[in-house]
Amino acid sequence: MKKLVFNPDLCTGCRACELACSFINEGVFSPTKARIRVVKFDRDGIDVPTGCEHCEDAPCMIVCPVRSIYRDEDTQAVILDPDICIGCKRCMIACPFGAIGFDEDKKVFFKCDLCRGDPECVKWCFTRAVSYSTSLDVDTIKKVKIARKEAAAQARARDLR
Amino acid sequence: MMEKLYGYAGQTLKVDLTKGKVIKEPLDRDLVKRFLGGRGLNGRLLFDLVGPDVDPMSPDNVLLIATGPVNGLLGLTTGRVDVTSLSPLTGIFGNSNAGTNFAPELKYAGYDNIVVVGRSKKPVYLLIEDDHVELRDASDLKGSGVFETTDVLKERHDDVKVAAVGRAAENGVLYGSVIFDYWDAAGRAGMGTVMASKNLKAIGVSGTGSIEVADPDRYYEVARDGWLALMNDFGFKTQEHSVLGTAVCVGWGNAQGWLPTRNFRESYFEDADKISGEEFRDRFSVKESPIPAGRACMSCPNRCKRYGVIRTGKYAGTRGNIEFEAIGAFGSKCGVGDFDAVFHANMIANDYGMDAVSCGNMIATFMEWREEGIIDDEFLDGLDLRFGNADAMVEAIHKIANREGKIGELGGLGSYLAAKAISEKAMYYTSNVKGMDSISCDPRAAKGFGFAYAVASRGSDHLRAHPVFEMIKLPPEIGKDLFGDPEAVDLRKYGGKPEMVAWHEELGAITDSIGSCRFMHASYYTQYPVPELIHKYFKLKGEVHSLKYHEWISAVTGWNISYEELLRIGKRIINVERAFNIRRGIRRKDDTLPERFFKDKVPRGPAKGEIYTRDTFNKMIDRYYEIRGWDPETGLIKRETLEDLELHDVLKILEKEGLVV
Repeated sequence: MKKLVFNPDLCTGCRACELACSFINEGVFSPTKARIRVVKFDRDGIDVPTGCEHCEDAPCMIVCPVRSIYRDEDTQAVILDPDICIGCKRCMIACPFGAIGFDEDKKVFFKCDLCRGDPECVKWCFTRAVSYSTSLDVDTIKKVKIARKEAAAQARARDLR
Repeated sequence: MMEKLYGYAGQTLKVDLTKGKVIKEPLDRDLVKRFLGGRGLNGRLLFDLVGPDVDPMSPDNVLLIATGPVNGLLGLTTGRVDVTSLSPLTGIFGNSNAGTNFAPELKYAGYDNIVVVGRSKKPVYLLIEDDHVELRDASDLKGSGVFETTDVLKERHDDVKVAAVGRAAENGVLYGSVIFDYWDAAGRAGMGTVMASKNLKAIGVSGTGSIEVADPDRYYEVARDGWLALMNDFGFKTQEHSVLGTAVCVGWGNAQGWLPTRNFRESYFEDADKISGEEFRDRFSVKESPIPAGRACMSCPNRCKRYGVIRTGKYAGTRGNIEFEAIGAFGSKCGVGDFDAVFHANMIANDYGMDAVSCGNMIATFMEWREEGIIDDEFLDGLDLRFGNADAMVEAIHKIANREGKIGELGGLGSYLAAKAISEKAMYYTSNVKGMDSISCDPRAAKGFGFAYAVASRGSDHLRAHPVFEMIKLPPEIGKDLFGDPEAVDLRKYGGKPEMVAWHEELGAITDSIGSCRFMHASYYTQYPVPELIHKYFKLKGEVHSLKYHEWISAVTGWNISYEELLRIGKRIINVERAFNIRRGIRRKDDTLPERFFKDKVPRGPAKGEIYTRDTFNKMIDRYYEIRGWDPETGLIKRETLEDLELHDVLKILEKEGLVV
């Protein structure tokens, strides 16, 4: 199953993901309405994309007293239904990632729903710091990367023998 | 009810520092329809607010900070901010632009622009948190560096976006910069000096609002098309600019023979590979190359900001963003091939809040003056300031920022005013036009760039036109189609260059006024109609994508602006800046290049033997004035030009002062 994967190492801090998200979901450009957020550390030159991880054991889903948060069968996304939500904000407090937002204009809570399986943020992330991949992809890429380094070292060592 | 102003936040923030008051006013919709925002809006406000007798350092001067209609939107770079004022360095129109997160944040907070007037009795900073706006005491920050000031404001106010000035500006260095979030400098023309003269130490802003566009469906298509234009651009595909940042120009400029070396004596630096973009990447970059290796302004896939850290040696711990112009100024111009020193020099200049270009140029000029026997060791306060001496260069920066000794006193004035205080001979070795130091490109080796320096409204500068067109290998047919002469694509030739500069200036004025970035229109040519022409002459298959400013602005605002109307707005912006300068005494005689470029041939390197021919140059000015509708004798604007551009009120003022032909 595909997941939204955030990689700070590839993030340039351009925040196109935030803008694409708020535009597709709310029709306006507003980082505070985006489901994804890039936290910038300008002095250190580090940018960290954050958002809903659609946890396997999702704390927000567990603490919701009215079951307004559920898992979508097709995409496996953790979804918040604003019509059921009573606005108690327990999910917001329980979420370890700050991935549940509150819309001050509409007075409802919101969160990422993976754009129904076609996340817009990914389409604008040129460096693939935000990607929609299977965990197998992520695993494999890392394994190959580290193996490549190891192979290069081995080859150098062999040439010295 | 008034029609909604799409793309804009809708409010102007007026700050009167003398009275300590802040007023919110609705954005002048007629003004933004005619001037868009950013540089265009600021230029017009400056013309209205600052008369010909105002002293740049007096409370009567104004500091204008403006965003444009695309700032904070999703699209091909939407983070640039414009800062405009009467320049203390040149005494004429001054402005500078920076790539930031500040501009979008200001709009999310609900304001399109800030107009700062007067002078505060004590140091203050302006805090903007959505509707809540206040002036706060900054006595504890007086004299502190840009980095510390930024740290303090971010700590105190929950990660606000910060614009700050440093100690150099406070000490009256005339090329003080306004620095956004540590590294992004509105560096040129002394905008920071004006801000410091008002006792305004910093501005902090955070906003939680939204920006709407007039036609969301069309907007998405237009923005995506512009985005894909960059993805398909030849230059972008090589990833050179993305991976190396603007520092790619070190190697590129050296190969083409326009990298100023040892002030402007030469245009080829033998140690260029020691201060190149590749060297920065391999030595200082903290992120993995080739992707991404850089950091980006708001909504920009190009990510050209180089972030790095010096890990060892005497400058260990120095960190930050570096750009080509700073490398040229402290590197090749000073003859310094020690990248640690160049990087460090740039970062201390940033922390002091000084323009790296003017500062490096000043030091390079001192070096040449010393070699030419114009200044002596006493003047230099014991510094062994010769070409290539990195330690002395770094020491000179401290002396200038702190105004120590003769070198600090005159060094803070910039090379033009310093030369004026020394001798006629000294002036020969400065690279200034209208009091502004030239950037890192030798006019003799790049004829279009050189011509752009001569006519730029803020003095010697490439960022009015930025005609990279002549530096990249485009088919001559495109030069013919766009500028009427195939020679326009040739770096060393003069043909079509006035036309090329004029077109770039007009579109560039739009870029600066909507809040987007010049690299997308020149460097990368994603801008309509260039991708279309490339497609045609390289006989490419498939769909053409291009960034069409006219459609972009139309989708945002709902105004339906055509390409022709767009260029007209560009012309209007340029003419208002010219009108401002005319009132300050600028005439044809000032639209020229430094003498040495007409007299001394490039001594070696790929551009060996190149010179700017004076006769040709004069003919180019004639042609440029003809395009602009300016009088060839005086350089004043013709009446019909102002009438055509519907600048009737500007005409009225110039008429009263006898400044129209």
